[in-house]
Amino acid sequence: MDTLQKNLELNIKTVKKKLPSEDILTFFFTTADGVPCALVYADGIVNKELLGTLIIRPLSALYLKNAGGRGATSEVAIQISARFPELKKVQKYSEAVQEVLDGNTLLLVDGLAVGFIAGAKFLPVRAITEPPTDIAVKGPREGFIEDIKTNMSLIRKRLKSPELRFETLRVGKRSDTMVSICWLESTSNATVKEEIKKRIEAIDVDVIPDSSYISALMTERKHSVFRTVGTTEKPDVFTAKIAEGRVGILVDGSPIALTLPYLLTEDFQSSEDYFVSPFMASVFRALRFVSLFVAILLPAFYVSAELFKMQLLPLGLMLTIASSVREIPLSPSLEMFVVLLLLEVLKEASIRMPKYVGMSLSVVGALVLGETAVSAGFLSTPAIIIVAFSGICLYTVPNFVETGSILRWLFLLVGGSLGPFGIVLLSAFLLFYLFSTESFSVPILAPFSPLSSRDLRDSVVKYDMESLDKRPSLFHSPNRTRLKKSRR
Amino acid sequence: MTGKTEINARQIGLFAAFILPVYKLVETPSVLARYAKGDLLLPALLHFILQAGVLCLILLFVAKGKTCLYDRISPKIKKPLFAFFALVYLLIAILPVLDLEKFTYAVFYDTPPTLFSFAFFFIFTAFVCVKELRSVGRAADLSLFLFLVPFLALLVMSVTEADFTNLLPLFEYEFGHTVSAFKNTTAHFTDVLLLLPLLGNLQYKKGDAKKILGGYGLGAFFTLLFLAVFYGIFSSVAEREHYAFAKIAQYFPPLASIGRIDLIFVYILCIVLFFFTALPLFYATLFSTEIFGKNKRLLCAILINIGAFLFTLFFNKNYDFFYRFLGNTLWFVFLAALIPVCFLCRKEKQ
Repeated sequence: MDTLQKNLELNIKTVKKKLPSEDILTFFFTTADGVPCALVYADGIVNKELLGTLIIRPLSALYLKNAGGRGATSEVAIQISARFPELKKVQKYSEAVQEVLDGNTLLLVDGLAVGFIAGAKFLPVRAITEPPTDIAVKGPREGFIEDIKTNMSLIRKRLKSPELRFETLRVGKRSDTMVSICWLESTSNATVKEEIKKRIEAIDVDVIPDSSYISALMTERKHSVFRTVGTTEKPDVFTAKIAEGRVGILVDGSPIALTLPYLLTEDFQSSEDYFVSPFMASVFRALRFVSLFVAILLPAFYVSAELFKMQLLPLGLMLTIASSVREIPLSPSLEMFVVLLLLEVLKEASIRMPKYVGMSLSVVGALVLGETAVSAGFLSTPAIIIVAFSGICLYTVPNFVETGSILRWLFLLVGGSLGPFGIVLLSAFLLFYLFSTESFSVPILAPFSPLSSRDLRDSVVKYDMESLDKRPSLFHSPNRTRLKKSRR
Repeated sequence: MTGKTEINARQIGLFAAFILPVYKLVETPSVLARYAKGDLLLPALLHFILQAGVLCLILLFVAKGKTCLYDRISPKIKKPLFAFFALVYLLIAILPVLDLEKFTYAVFYDTPPTLFSFAFFFIFTAFVCVKELRSVGRAADLSLFLFLVPFLALLVMSVTEADFTNLLPLFEYEFGHTVSAFKNTTAHFTDVLLLLPLLGNLQYKKGDAKKILGGYGLGAFFTLLFLAVFYGIFSSVAEREHYAFAKIAQYFPPLASIGRIDLIFVYILCIVLFFFTALPLFYATLFSTEIFGKNKRLLCAILINIGAFLFTLFFNKNYDFFYRFLGNTLWFVFLAALIPVCFLCRKEKQ
């Protein structure tokens, strides 16, 4: 039987049987007229002071047996006496157990076949800080944290609209993680929202430690180099995307929120673009586009120019390179491969190492390894310059670093073996692959392909605010107008 | 067909404007110059007028029905017709593939590599062949940027070196030269045939014809402009200047000090050329699938592309033979585009 009984002892015994862990504590006390009561809670995640002030103290002063005489039932009397704003009634053990595991407190009273849930959750949370992956010189600096409720409040703070909806689902057989779908009723595409819900509900996994699990489990192309789910750590970016007609997903325990559908151009947009002049924003975006192509293609083009098509280099530069690579024992492709590998190792080590070691690591990496390798005639200076420049360029688009890094290796491989022909062929191949890649029925290469001329206004070039009066057509928002132009 | 309602008029228009002209920038200029000399614009113009006429007739037929063209074909003749078209596209694929192979060795390498380097191209085409028609439409969309930016950049770099008086006087040579140039470049002007599978899947809406014809007109304009600049630069040696778009900007003065950066634009344009070359093979796969069943798509794609690779491997030195064979003997293949027009006449008679 899953229903709570009137006998307190039996109820406690059953709950303890379901929750035998040592951190699940029970606190017994009595009302003023001696009716036994008990609180069941998980140690460490409950505000005990609040429980004492708002539940134990008022109930200890309550004459429960007389409550019926004053025209109120015992249940109502408890609800009135306990000065708790959130006091929910439960009638099943399973519900009660779930609430305790969520950090809430279960109040049981002898003689009542119901339990009361007090929301005295007190989870240790990190302060709201600026996310390290998405720093903006201008604009809001708040970032999401690991607590889903705090993240929801950060969104609610920015979207004070009755149309803002959250729908919370539970995912993970063991972790029972809260996953909240967030959308604006009048602007989001209902089909996309339903599809997201369906896919999340279909996830059958033990534990969800982070939103990346949800992202990986709900995408169509699981082995793709290109992601099809957008991510952000900033509430201002998240709300802007929701307001554009996208649907968002928050996952408890993760500071990274997901947004869908995702477009590849999103990676080239920064929140700052919307806080500076459109001209500057366009310049920055173009710079990011160019930097990304340089980051991915420069090492490959350098190698293929050296090996297959010298004409690509001006004569003066070609002579300089020729003189510096003359003594190098490695082939141009192998040399570039070694330098690129060195960069990746240094990058990986500097992220994982403690900060105080990181400083010495950069000295060792940059000065000792680089300088010594060149002076020993093991590597050439142009190769190091090219890889260093490529590495810097890649970080102009932080969300594309992982994909860009893989693509750089791929292009180096084909550039070194097939020359410029391989590079162009791989580009054509990747483009054709991207033509058929979609994120919840929206092609990720949009608005370039399929071409949507109006949506191009916020792609490589950013128009002024008044020109962005319509929501992107790609999201099929039921309400496309987002700005009414002023008549000046 | 599999790609029903997967393509729209805008994409077909962009296809005609930005993908179709790219093949005509490779060998066509030198062939036209060989036969028509300074009048090379005339045979090209004749081709465009003729193709535009056929396109108009097909569009008329497409616009008449409520369903798309392929759905109107009776099931009895569907299979033999599609088998014929599969064969037509395989034949059409020969010249672009052989042209691209030679182009690749000349433009991408200082020293020609082994033939097997080109084999990788067929991995790409096989990949294209298993995609849906929708991807071709999206390729057309993106080609707006992939074609226009490098094409304009190359023109800007080359136009300063062009002497347009080389094209004058008009009609300097006998009309026989123009006819000869027209005849010998038939294989280069397969525009309507390449548009046919797209038009066959188009769910026609009012105003679509304007978009498609407008796109075709723009594509023709780009080609004629390029031919004019090409002859303006190379003049009497034009017939020896193969792979025109890779060479047209090489005399731009700053290139001497900054290197052949024009090649970057040439390479971007090559992406569109790769799309173009893969298309006949894609169409051949699409029609084969209609005959052998949709679940055989991968098999059809693999077989067609292995066949194409083996063909290139063994016959790459017989380019001239195939050029003559297709131009002189199998010229009627290029009339396959008229088949829907025949249907139009038949229907009107009824």
